[in-house]
Amino acid sequence: MTRSNTYSKIVARLMTCAGAMALLAGPASAETMTLWSRSGQGETIPALVKAFNESHEDQVQVVQVPFQEMVQKYATALAGGEAPDAVALDLIYTPSFAASGQLEPLTDWAKSLSYFDSLSKAHLSVATYQGDIYGMPFTTETSVMAWNKDLFEKAGLDPEKGPTNYAEWRDMAKRVDALGDDIDGFYFSGNCAGCTIFSFTPMIWASNGRILSDDGSKATLDTPQMHDAVDLFRNMIADGSIAASARTDNGTNFLSIQNGRIGMQVVGAATIGVLTTQHPDLNFGVAPIPGKDGGSSTFVGGDNFVITKGSDHVDLAKTFLEFAYSPEGQTLMAKYGSLPARSDISAKIMADQDSRLQVAAATVPTGHTPYSVVFNDIINSANSPWIQMLSAAIYGDDPDAAIAEGERQMQETIDFGS
Amino acid sequence: MSNIVTQPVTVGKAMPCGGHKRKRKRKSQLVGFLFVVPALLLVGLFFLTPVAMTAWMSLHRWPLLGQPRFIGLDNYWRMLSDTGFWDAMGFTVLYTVVVTIAIFAVAFPLAIFVEKPRPLQNVFRTIYFLPVVVGFAAASLLWVWLLNVDNGLFSPLMERLGLTNGRVNLLGSFDLAFASIITMVVWKVAGFTMIILMTGLQSIPEDITEAARIDGVSALKRFRFLTLPLMRRTVGLALILCISGSMLAFDQFYIMVSGGPQNQTLTAVYWIFNQSFVSFRLGYGSALSIVLLAILVAISVVQLWIIRDPKEDAR
Repeated sequence: MTRSNTYSKIVARLMTCAGAMALLAGPASAETMTLWSRSGQGETIPALVKAFNESHEDQVQVVQVPFQEMVQKYATALAGGEAPDAVALDLIYTPSFAASGQLEPLTDWAKSLSYFDSLSKAHLSVATYQGDIYGMPFTTETSVMAWNKDLFEKAGLDPEKGPTNYAEWRDMAKRVDALGDDIDGFYFSGNCAGCTIFSFTPMIWASNGRILSDDGSKATLDTPQMHDAVDLFRNMIADGSIAASARTDNGTNFLSIQNGRIGMQVVGAATIGVLTTQHPDLNFGVAPIPGKDGGSSTFVGGDNFVITKGSDHVDLAKTFLEFAYSPEGQTLMAKYGSLPARSDISAKIMADQDSRLQVAAATVPTGHTPYSVVFNDIINSANSPWIQMLSAAIYGDDPDAAIAEGERQMQETIDFGS
Repeated sequence: MSNIVTQPVTVGKAMPCGGHKRKRKRKSQLVGFLFVVPALLLVGLFFLTPVAMTAWMSLHRWPLLGQPRFIGLDNYWRMLSDTGFWDAMGFTVLYTVVVTIAIFAVAFPLAIFVEKPRPLQNVFRTIYFLPVVVGFAAASLLWVWLLNVDNGLFSPLMERLGLTNGRVNLLGSFDLAFASIITMVVWKVAGFTMIILMTGLQSIPEDITEAARIDGVSALKRFRFLTLPLMRRTVGLALILCISGSMLAFDQFYIMVSGGPQNQTLTAVYWIFNQSFVSFRLGYGSALSIVLLAILVAISVVQLWIIRDPKEDAR
């Protein structure tokens, strides 16, 4: 807020200096709102903002924040009174920020929207605190398996088919990997908590396992399903078909498949948007993430749009959201990989989209979003029990002990937090 | 301006006279006090006040978002059983010892090398000092790329040279990650220690070493019994800077390995950061900070005592 004021003051002064008094009225009266968005979410929000700015006098300025640091940056900014006007907040964090009383309640305005009933229920449920709505559905994405069709073809595999169980998964990775020294069968960000909860847990869900009880009060890591999924990864490592750098990737290289030398990788719908719009040469297919003997699941994630309490630009933020919900906005967002937040126009919008985005959209009913009030502590932070467990189980010498210890530590944090 | 500069000179002259004019002495003390007032204000505002606030916060349950609640010394009691913090502390001490030895092992020879006048002397000094002006975060990011196993520099190079069988992920295991980070820090910091040590070397009068040489004292003995004792203060300064800096290490471990593999490279500051800004327990983080501060002060006091000049004490 303050920054944009200073900015417009500087602009105003520069223009006065230049003697361009006639132009002064324009930029000085237009409002500018700051919006934070996390990195690694593709181009949806920047593209939407660009379209908004080109068609409106008031402007939105996007600031991208590294995804690992979004929560602490927003929380410290709130505590220090320097918060942005609005944030595209990972939906799993909406409850804790809403409970802190730092968000603008949007209940009356939200319910006045003619399409309110068709807005994503999953987003709204986590955004509702004590009967009031503090966040609006913004972006939606799911995780899916992607593969490089050219490499599949070279390896003698059917380029139109992804793996439907663990055995196929391992075999496909091995055969693609055999194509050459600089080609790897499979890639994942092995030291990134947020990436693996998104890409790895669907394997467990697809095999009918859970990592947390539904109310989030019990950690259930030490299950046959977890052991099976870990075994698949250990076997692929033993085959040499996982890229060596996967072990230490803290999320920086999540999009490795774009380099054309990776056979398979789990990606998000936003990633599909990045690949189709920025790497049109990459010939890839997508399919749901399989379980051990079949089945499939996905992580349903995305952002809620929250407005900081006391922002000077609440109305502008609402105008921006209405633009995002318009058929034009929803179509643009879908093109960049964010699945429609409005179910009433969803089918119409998706019909015109890339077929791979349609695959990602179709997985939503099979998906899960783990819920926990200490989500950052136990799962998403860089040093959480979840990622320590997974890294030790996949790359360490004793996976059984690592999984048991991970469950113990996760439970300890849950108990301490409540 | 000019009278301010001349006054300390008068003060200096007055002292050896034995203080026969008490009034003048008092005046000189007042002037001296006035000189340190700006520094005192800065220290008070930017060091003592925050420390006092941290100490106050450490007595509360202080969530980042929400209302603080006074809980006395509970945070400190909890700390005693916080194995994570003490593990991090242990790792920090290990890192400090290893990195300090490594930095001095590199910086001392470099200082001796660049101290003597020789052709291209300034070029060498500049080259060795250059990494110092790179920020720690930028240097860490650069090395993350250099160390990348698939498309970095070292692993593919070593494989191509036939030094390793296949590519080795230099950040994959604790030993390799630790060694890689030590190497990066030495590359980054040794130039600074080198400059400090070089000024120490330059302050040693040429005729003393010359006399020893004529007397037939070997180079090793000259270094051990002449150079080192005469550099006591310089080495002390370099040591304190190096050790206190290393005890506060954070950036390189956060950026290069995120405390991994498997949380084995979490430093004390990293743990405090996680408690404060990931788990939002600002009060507990403050308590940890106070304890870390106390440990640092203790280490510095011990160091100053070890490197003290016995002759100066006798005076």
